[in-house]
Amino acid sequence: MSQKPFLLAAEGVNKSFDGFKAIRDLNFYLEKGELRTVIGPNGAGKTTFLDLITGRTQPDTGKIEFEGTHDLGSMSEHEIYRLGIGRKFQTPTVYTDHTVAENLVLSLAGSRGVFASLFFKLNSEQKDKMEEILKTINLTAHRDRKAGTLAHGQKQWLEIGMLLAQDAKLLLVDEPAAGMTDEETARTGELLLSLAGKHTIVVIEHDMVFVRQISLGRKVTVLHQGSVLCEGPVDSVQADPRVIEVYLGRKHAR
Amino acid sequence: MNPQPRREIFAAGALALLLLVLMPALNAWAPEDSFFYVSNFTINVWGKYLAYGILAISVDLLWGFTGLLSLGQALFFSLGGYMLGMHLMLMIGKLGQYKSDLPDFMVFLGHTFLPTFWRPFYSFGVTALLVFLVPMLLAKGFGYLAFRSRIKGVYFSILTQALTYGASLMFFRNDMLMGGNNGFTDFKFLLGGDMRSAATQRTLYICTGIALLAVYFGCRWLTRTKFGLIQRAIRDSETRVLFSGYSAANYKLFVFVVAAGIAALGGALYVPQVGIINPSEMTPDKSLEAVVWVAVGGRGTLVGPVLGAVVINALKSWATRAIPDMWLILLGSMFLLVVLFLPKGLISVPGLIRDFLQRHRKPASPETPAPTPAPKVSAS
Amino acid sequence: MPLSPAPIPLLLMRLLFAAIAFLLACCAPLAQADAPAEIIAKAVLLDDKSEEQIALIRSGEPSPELLALLTLWKEGGIFLVEGPEGTKIPVTLEDAKDADDKQAARLLLTRQPYLGPDGKPIRLLASDLNAAETDSDLRSAMKSILDLAGLASPDRSARLQAVETLGMEQDPLRLPALRARISKETDSEIQHALKEAVALTELKDADPATVTLACRALGELGSIRSQDALRLLAKDGHPAARTAQDALRKIEQHLQTVNIWGTLFRGLSLGSVLLVAALGLAVTFGLMGVINMAHGEMIAVGAYTTYVVQCIFGPGLELSPFGIHIVLPSMKATGWLYDSYFLFAIPLSFLTAARAGVVLERCVIRFLYRRPLESLLATWGVSLVLQQLFRLTFGANNVQVASPNWLSGHWLINDVSLGWNRVFVIGFAAAIVLGVFLLLARTPLGLLMRAVMQNRTMAACMGVRTERVNLLTFGLGSGLAGLAGAFLSQIGNVGPSLGQSYIVDAFMTVVVGGVGSLFGTIFSALGIGMADQALQQILGNPVLGKILVLVGIILFLQWRPAGLFVTRSRSLDN
Repeated sequence: MSQKPFLLAAEGVNKSFDGFKAIRDLNFYLEKGELRTVIGPNGAGKTTFLDLITGRTQPDTGKIEFEGTHDLGSMSEHEIYRLGIGRKFQTPTVYTDHTVAENLVLSLAGSRGVFASLFFKLNSEQKDKMEEILKTINLTAHRDRKAGTLAHGQKQWLEIGMLLAQDAKLLLVDEPAAGMTDEETARTGELLLSLAGKHTIVVIEHDMVFVRQISLGRKVTVLHQGSVLCEGPVDSVQADPRVIEVYLGRKHAR
Repeated sequence: MNPQPRREIFAAGALALLLLVLMPALNAWAPEDSFFYVSNFTINVWGKYLAYGILAISVDLLWGFTGLLSLGQALFFSLGGYMLGMHLMLMIGKLGQYKSDLPDFMVFLGHTFLPTFWRPFYSFGVTALLVFLVPMLLAKGFGYLAFRSRIKGVYFSILTQALTYGASLMFFRNDMLMGGNNGFTDFKFLLGGDMRSAATQRTLYICTGIALLAVYFGCRWLTRTKFGLIQRAIRDSETRVLFSGYSAANYKLFVFVVAAGIAALGGALYVPQVGIINPSEMTPDKSLEAVVWVAVGGRGTLVGPVLGAVVINALKSWATRAIPDMWLILLGSMFLLVVLFLPKGLISVPGLIRDFLQRHRKPASPETPAPTPAPKVSAS
Repeated sequence: MPLSPAPIPLLLMRLLFAAIAFLLACCAPLAQADAPAEIIAKAVLLDDKSEEQIALIRSGEPSPELLALLTLWKEGGIFLVEGPEGTKIPVTLEDAKDADDKQAARLLLTRQPYLGPDGKPIRLLASDLNAAETDSDLRSAMKSILDLAGLASPDRSARLQAVETLGMEQDPLRLPALRARISKETDSEIQHALKEAVALTELKDADPATVTLACRALGELGSIRSQDALRLLAKDGHPAARTAQDALRKIEQHLQTVNIWGTLFRGLSLGSVLLVAALGLAVTFGLMGVINMAHGEMIAVGAYTTYVVQCIFGPGLELSPFGIHIVLPSMKATGWLYDSYFLFAIPLSFLTAARAGVVLERCVIRFLYRRPLESLLATWGVSLVLQQLFRLTFGANNVQVASPNWLSGHWLINDVSLGWNRVFVIGFAAAIVLGVFLLLARTPLGLLMRAVMQNRTMAACMGVRTERVNLLTFGLGSGLAGLAGAFLSQIGNVGPSLGQSYIVDAFMTVVVGGVGSLFGTIFSALGIGMADQALQQILGNPVLGKILVLVGIILFLQWRPAGLFVTRSRSLDN
């Protein structure tokens, strides 16, 4: 198991809020280039897990390592981001008062320093990249619109576009299909699939159709009450009685 | 942000020409009894307004552009003023009431020699440096502590308010050796010029105008760089900025220090024109007053704060003489109404009128973007 | 004919006095023949003969009447008017003055009105009259009679004062009286003071052994008053110098304990003041997230309400805001009825401020729930307007709010002085904290409030009338500010900018405590209060202490940015 270095390794992580154990003894390993889907019922700790990785909260115990060297538990949000970990939030979180293009400019890879920002100018390479991303996320026509005026699905796309602009090593995608039409959902799935391999991706999702679309032949992790319930290919996970029980209640119990 | 950047520059240029060239020229060369004559008093009052305009821009740079409502700007403003004031006190020389080399208040308190920290202020160059250095260092120290522990929003306001309050308590003390209650006054010379002469005051006025222009264009440049983008991003969603990899704390610290420097510049220009500086300039209320100018003029723009500073202070000059009892009520209710009904300030009034007229001419214009706020032209 | 004292031939009088003096010398108790008024009347007429006067006034039983007359005399309240045939008639003047500043006179001897030849009362101008004179010997004799009499006074505080004065005189002649009193005295504080007075007086004793004993006793008693006397002894080569030094050291220790307790008490009371001022803010700011800069003015509303109630109970009040003349009726109450005004002022302050808060919420705040920074600005505008309204209505100067009698005065416990008003503020703070706690934790309204504050949208979805709950919560917060005002009026000045002096502190208290946590507010209020008083005591400078507290708070927030008590929730804000 531990011969190959993991991109992300969480070991024995615990986190509680006012006595409520959101994450308990969680172990999670992610290899480079993987596209991992994480599912789990409400309150399973999915979003809290992402919060822990991205430094929004700190674990009570346990450690989360990135590339085997960086301890994420003690770093702040922007430092973790600079390691190459990008996140798309559950509710679309874009800069509503900035235009679509400005949103992308803010996300482009490059120096994050104060003085660099004073004398920043887009070079031609970056311009090309932006055009490409705009095309990918289908917002070229809306580049000068304020992001706040976009439709919900478009905001989701823009946020994915911001992840692309960042050129992150690890993409954490929280419910990307929420609030999208079936068609948009399918396209989102395609987009994620096309990124797999180049980037390492963790997708949190509820929509099982979408999950099946992106995780065929890949590993799915089921979280329940803050720890990993089971892990494996999507079909076997869906057939696992424990998974059925936590999702559907104690139908088969006793 | 600004729909008509060209028009803005044009308007600013025209105003600058009027205020910077025409008014001083008329003050200097128009015959005193002619219609065009601009009195020394007018020059002096406008110099004060323009210095306030600089302070207002510093407030807006923080509040309007970065979402940091600092109630410490009056502190940095008066610190800048105090620094220059120390130089001016030393320049009085033996012309004070006690005919001593020491400033009068020190003689009065029984001091026989000049404290060490006063010495550097004999030099105008060092003073000019300290005018910026002292407030900016204070801003840096305080900002570092505040932003590091992620104090934001109203907590930041309350903390800066406490800082200002604490500083004013300190300056009220005599053993601070900064003039205590009465502060500094009775200035005589600045760079050899007699401070009561019309020529010196006119020069000061022109300097203030130039400084205001420089600050205006500097901030205009700053807010249009990527830094400006990040600034506004911090204002709208600070948490998101962290997840774009920017250290919001560093950006806020930078803009806080810059704004402190701008405020200090305003203060240093203000003091020689009004001829006095004392701790009452340093209270949280003074900071809030500057916030009123920005709110009334229009925050998030750079012309708005200057407009607000001039309009409100002109109104104040008039009201404190004509209806002294009602001035505070007027100021308070004006502020209340602007916050409630005209959140974008006076500067948004022409736009609102235009929208209103357009809507009435072409009731179903498909061109107008959907989310324009309901017209509240009645407040104009 | 004006009534005059029977014309007694001078010789006869002299004889009489000689006899009295004689009687006094051999058997004093027998000398109590004369009534107090007669004694004083006689003594007053014996101008320049202070020895005889002294003998005379000592002859009387120190009855309350005699003491009162002596006091009057000492203070120049007895006048001599020319009677017929050059006689002098001692009179006193009534309090009431007429239009010409003249006062009706009363005969000292008979207490009858002094009538003129026409049978009408004579009215006199005090400045025209000659007061019965006293020289220094006579005055000190009077004082010693008064003081000694004070030892037996039924009034506790008069007795205490008499003991303390006698002690400071260090007059060995007083020792028997003081010693005699010790056995009779039942009050422990006065017992303590008596022992102190005796020991203090014994320091003047010629016998070094007695002095040494006295020094030791003073040290044991922790007598702060005797420090000066002891220092004198400790300096010169007196045989008791060592003991005196020991005693001084002991007193110093005692003084330190007193200071520590005093500081604790003042800290507790300042903390309570902060708590009372900040509690309303903890509700509006902490629970609702509304920054009400006009909170200070709500405090002032409460204070002015107290003032108005007091004026209605007392002399009435005339106000003329904006040229409108308003006359508030006067009840002309005195005594206990007047003192009870405060009991009416407390609920009225709460209601008035709560009502003002409700109006503020309806007109301003409710539009700004989602814009906290702007609520700060708008309410600052309101605060400016309110301050000016106070100024226009009640004047720019401070108004006088007199504490009811039952709030003035203090307890002295082992030299630590506990002002009743401060004790009251502490008790009151405890009471309203308990009240607010019960309201929030035990009533349906409190449940609704907490629900709305935690998740407005959810509460609204569940059918809670959030608008109404907001209104009530804000009303409660403002009402609490009003209560604070009622109490602050008892310990400080009431003026238009009253609120301004508390607002910064109140905000700091809430921020340090942790916004949204009432317990945090309590702890931080007491903590800041204690720190402030302790620093003041150590630095001996209130302003420096205050600045240090502010610096301390900024540093404290480095350590705990969210305050003492963090209210965590799973839905982190954005």
